[in-house]
Amino acid sequence: MPNESGGSGGCLCGGVRYRVDGALSDVGACHCSQCRRTTGHFFAATTCAKAALSFGSDATLAWYESSPGIRRGFCSRCGASLFWDDSARDEIDILAGTLDAPTGLVLVDHIFVADKGDYYEIADGLPQYPQRPPAT
Amino acid sequence: MGEAQHSGGCLCGGVRYRIAGRLRDAVACHCSQCRRMTGHFGAFTGCRRARLSLEADATLAWYDSSPGVRRGFCAGCGATLFWDNGARPYIAVAVGTLDAPTGIALAAHLFTADRGDYYEIADGLPQHADDMPETRIIEPPRSPADR
Repeated sequence: MPNESGGSGGCLCGGVRYRVDGALSDVGACHCSQCRRTTGHFFAATTCAKAALSFGSDATLAWYESSPGIRRGFCSRCGASLFWDDSARDEIDILAGTLDAPTGLVLVDHIFVADKGDYYEIADGLPQYPQRPPAT
Repeated sequence: MGEAQHSGGCLCGGVRYRIAGRLRDAVACHCSQCRRMTGHFGAFTGCRRARLSLEADATLAWYDSSPGVRRGFCAGCGATLFWDNGARPYIAVAVGTLDAPTGIALAAHLFTADRGDYYEIADGLPQHADDMPETRIIEPPRSPADR
């Protein structure tokens, strides 16, 4: 279920701490080759309005432009993967593993499974899409 | 078991590595450190440290996450690459950074007591509440590269 009350989170070393004052969407997993190389396995993120995201600390927050208009946020001190940001959207993806527990969220689907790694199976019964999910 | 030669690297190419010899099967780690670092949970294969060679390491950075344990990542793109416990002869390599095909398989889940509340583990593989002493069992047979 989406979490209407928001939440907080951060990286491993504490150099990046954020909070969300607004709704967090359910979690989506992405198995594209970029997400797999960045996370070292595959990606899972919730989404919130950019206007709802604020930082208690962003001293070590760094960005990498992985595609035109797309940047990935990480901690330059501990290497934690934190954000996926499309400049054309008013929302931002927050990697679910960086949220403080409990998140109150649920994983709901898998996208770009055509690019999935060969060493694991997706066995949770959730919807799988070869590439992008159908438009909602 | 994997082929006798593997390669991999981060997203931006600042870190590229080669591994001589076979890789052990992969383990997923759900500990709170791996979850914050990877943004979901970790999956690592491993090899003897001497079998790992870095072809590019201009952006390789290390973070000491516990005494004697460091995590390797790319300071250019943020990719999670290595987990290195100095007391062990093996270095753990994040499987998602390997070039395809890897030829290995996920074999178990570790530290499931710390699993995130937003996903289930449904693949039927063995789950260990904390570390897995049987790790040795899934280490690869000796390779000519070890001699």
